[in-house]
Order: sequence, then structure tokens, then C-alpha cells
Amino acid sequence: MIRPWEIAALALGLAAAICGATLIGSGSLFLLCEILVIFLLAQMWNLLAGFAGQISLGHQAFVGLGAYTLFLAANETALPLWLVLALVPVAVGLVAIPLGLVMFHLKHAYFAVGMWVVAEILMQLAAKADWLGGTSGLVLRPGGNMLAGEPERVVFAIAAFCAVALMVGLRVFLRTRLGLATLALRENEAAAASAGIDVRGLHLMHFALTAAGTALAGALYYITALYISPNDAFQINWLIAMMFVTVVGGIGTLTGPALGTIILIGAREAMTAWGFTGGQYWIVMGLLAVVVLLLAPRGLWPAIAARRGATQHATTEETEA
Amino acid sequence: MAGVAAPLLQARGLTKNFGAIAATDAVDLDLNSGDSVGLIGPNGAGKSTLLALLAGDHRPSAGALTLDGTDITRLPVHARVRSGVARAAQIPQSFDRLTVRENALLPALFGAGLGRSEAEGWIAEVLALVGLTERAGMLAGALGLLDRKRLELAKAVAARPRVLLLDEIAAGLTEPEIEAIMELVLSLREGRAIVWVEHIPFALRGTCDRLMVMDKGAKTHDGAFAEVWENPELQSIYMGVSDDHSASH
Ligand SMILES: Nc1ncnc2c1ncn2[C@@H]1O[C@H](COP(=O)(O)OP(=O)(O)O)[C@@H](O)[C@H]1O
Ligand SMILES: [Mg+2]
Repeated sequence: MIRPWEIAALALGLAAAICGATLIGSGSLFLLCEILVIFLLAQMWNLLAGFAGQISLGHQAFVGLGAYTLFLAANETALPLWLVLALVPVAVGLVAIPLGLVMFHLKHAYFAVGMWVVAEILMQLAAKADWLGGTSGLVLRPGGNMLAGEPERVVFAIAAFCAVALMVGLRVFLRTRLGLATLALRENEAAAASAGIDVRGLHLMHFALTAAGTALAGALYYITALYISPNDAFQINWLIAMMFVTVVGGIGTLTGPALGTIILIGAREAMTAWGFTGGQYWIVMGLLAVVVLLLAPRGLWPAIAARRGATQHATTEETEA
Repeated sequence: MAGVAAPLLQARGLTKNFGAIAATDAVDLDLNSGDSVGLIGPNGAGKSTLLALLAGDHRPSAGALTLDGTDITRLPVHARVRSGVARAAQIPQSFDRLTVRENALLPALFGAGLGRSEAEGWIAEVLALVGLTERAGMLAGALGLLDRKRLELAKAVAARPRVLLLDEIAAGLTEPEIEAIMELVLSLREGRAIVWVEHIPFALRGTCDRLMVMDKGAKTHDGAFAEVWENPELQSIYMGVSDDHSASH
């Protein structure tokens, strides 16, 4: 079950989230919100691909679905924005269940590409829908009014606490029987079924949970943006960020995506400060991914952990790393 | 129970086609609790395919399968394990980045449906039975082939099946090791049915009451061990095996 120091970490995370939200300057908060959102997105993709063994090339669909659900529900109803935000992952998670049941008819690479097609279709549908503002999208106007105050402060507090809670929650989860079953899925699906594990059911659970988490992260991001359009919300760059962060950081590890996020955003900020262009940044990131995957195919974090002399315990104890 | 009790496991006309070949061809099989059946036949006879059909790894091209009189022909693998049919496969399948203990724990939790602490106690017993206690903390991926075969057996036993299917679990073992496996199989006989595919006659003779022979997908013999074993037809079908290898000239 949950260990004392994990509860302490949650409490500390909550305190840091609130302090940060009140004390940090607005400019830095936007950057921190983005970092946290990327981390949350990557950890969701990592859970599905790295732990449950299902690679989706369409999880940006849930970024867009989450954000559009939030904008629509907040703008068209009198519900408070933060209540709508809490309902977004529930709604998108529920939508993901029938979607998963359909998509699971496709296996492996077909599933991965099928998910990308889903995201593309959703982008086209959003662009065609007048009630979603078509290609020009929507402005966030909860209950019809402009958003007052500095929403990025609340967004930061929520995202920071979610990031800590996710790390703690996943560690706890991987120690449970379903967590052990998830690690088994990652290793060998046929053997998992032979052990009595309902592979399809577990896949569906992870698909819906990661869709919900991805939707929440997407909704958080677009609250700070205040504006949403199909080309932005459903863009493949969300997926690229999730994959880069996970694969470079260390797929199937809990710490890897945190490391990957720091590299992705840190390099961007540094290169921007030194006057490089966006195009040059992506070339460098692409090369970095290639180099990392050649030298440390399982990602940087496992390589670092091995270098530190830690034995390669990718078991339930691996979550200690 | 009123009337004639249904067999524990019953197969009727079980067939699996791979393209043009019938790997298993209209096999009928009745298994009752307490049955221990040796299954022999030349390579390619369809023994592994039959066990895969029983375990749910293959969908039959034709035929039906019941467990306790309930149709399980379309039941997926995980549900079959939960309802009591488990197999140690010829090619061991393990969770390489989990420990040996965790590997065995999974079928105890999900197959046998035990609670965590009960499962921990049970798999400690199972690992001792197959001789893996000392390796319990190792990653399964670090095991040698023989230990992987032991683990495959441990995983099947850990699920506490009522029908235990063993596919060449003793192949490659030394004689004392085979004797240890025989002892294990004997200790597992009570309250369940066992089907053991093996090319080692003394192992089957020492553990099984019944012998079944397959050739070219079909079941050719099925009866009391000694009777089938003495059957003169057997040697002609099944040249690969003989107690003293005298049939190899
Ligand atoms: N997955 C498969 N695809 C195609 N042919 C197969 C497959 N599995 C088994 N076979 C064929 O079915 C026949 C029976 O194989 P098998 O059941 O493994 O025999 P045994 O276990 O008795 O040696 C063989 O001819 C084998 O080549
Ligand atoms: Mg075989």
C-alpha cells in the first residue's frame, strides 16, 4: 500500500504547488505550466506504450478532445470552469472506452496508425463544425464572460500537484496486483493471458485512463492559451513531444519522462536564447533522439541508472528508480 | 449428482487446420478428475496443437470442448485458466524483466484467484516443488533453458488448474531431474486431470495410468497404459520411442 514517505511527497507536492502558484512570476508560470503539461502527456503515453505495451500514434486526439470539451462546456453552461475541468477527464475517459473497443480490432502497428487516423479525422471534423468555430476555433469565455484573474496560477497549482500525484500514484499502482499484471503485459501478452490476465480488459483500462489523463493535460494547457483551434489542438506535435520525451528519457520507467521533458524544453529555451530558429531546434532534437537511441536504446534514464551501478531491476522494484 | 456425471473435460471432433494440413484431426477426448494421461506420438503428430486447443491458444477449426458440461470452445485463454485449464508450454514463455517469484505469482493471483498473501505462500511451495526457491529473486530473463522450463511448469501449477497440460517439460533434463519432475507430477495427480506429452517412456510409465497415442493429427490409441504400450501397432507408428532404444536398428 501507500508508504509514509509517499504520503509525505504528496503533501510536499501540494505545498509546493500552492506556494509556486502564489509566489512565482506570471511569465515563468506559463513556461512551468507547459513543462508540467508535457510531462503529464508523456507519462500518459509512457503508461500506455511503455507499460501496457500499446503504441498509439493518435493520443493527440485526446488533447484536442479534452480541450474542446472544456471550452464548449465552460462557454455554453453556467458550470464553474474548474468544475468543468474536473469533469473533462471523466467525459473523455468514457468516450475512450467504445473507441478502444473498436480500435482494438486493429493490432500493433495497425492500431498505432489507426489511432493517428482517428486524430486526423477529429481534426477535420472540428474544422468543419460551425458550432466549434470551424477552422478559427473558440475563445475561452466561461459562461459567456472573459476569464478574470490569472488562470495560469490555478493551472500551475493543479498541474504541479497532478505531476507529483501521478508519480506517487503510478508507483503505488505498480505494486498492486493490476500493476504487476501491467508489467507482465509489457513483457509477454500471450504469457499474461496464460496466467489468467484479461489482456484486452487491461488494455482497455489503460487506454481509457491515459485518454482521460491526456485530456486533462490538454484542457489545462488550453486554459492558459485561452484560445483553441483544430490545427493546434489536434496537431501531431503533441504526439511528437510525448514520444520524444518518453523514448529519449526512458520508456517503461517512471523517471524517464521527467528527464525527457527537461531535455526537450531545456534545449528549446537554451537554443532560443542563443538565437537558433525553431527549425534548427527540431533538427537538433531529431539528431539527439537518434544518438540516444543508438547509444542507449532503452533511453537515458535506464542508462544512467545502470551507470550508477544499480542492477537492472525492471520489476516492481524498478519503480524505486 | 443425478445421472451420469459429465466428464471434467470433454473434446469432441477437435480439429485444427493450418492451411491444407490438419494438425489435429477430429480428436475425441474425455478427462476425469484423477486421470493421468501420457500423450505420445512422433514429431508433428499434433500433440502440442491438441494441448493448445485445450488451453485456448488456438481456436478449433471444428469440434467442441466442454468443462464440467459447460461449453468452453470459444472461451479465451485467460478465462480458461481461471476456470481451471492450465498448460506448461513446450517453448517456455516468461516475463523476462520480472523476478521468478513475480512470474509465478501472476497465475496464482489471476489464474487461481488467490489473495496476495495466500498467493505468496502458495508460490513459495510451488517454487520449492520445481526446485526454483534459490532463484526466486532472479529476473526470469537471466535463467538458463532448464530453469525456464521449471518456471513454465511452476506457472502452470501456480494457477491451481483442475486440468493440467504438460508439454515436454522434462525434455533435456538429466535422469535425477526427470525423477524429481515425476515425483512432482505424482503429487499433483489428486483432484485433477493431467495430460503429459513427453518422449521419455519411463517418466510416463511411472506417473500415468493411461496412454494416448497420436499420429498425423489423429488419435490412434487411448487406454490403460500397459495395454496401449504393449500394443504391437504402437512400435510401427511410434518408432521414435522405445525403452531400450532397440527399435532404432
Ligand atoms: N502455428 C502453426 N502454423 C502452421 N503449422 C503448424 C503450426 N503449429 C503446428 N503446425 C503444424 O502442425 C503439425 C503438428 O504440430 P505439433 O502440434 O507441434 O506436433 P507435435 O507437438 O506432436 O510435435 C506439424 O505439421 C506442424 O508443422
Ligand atoms: Mg510438440
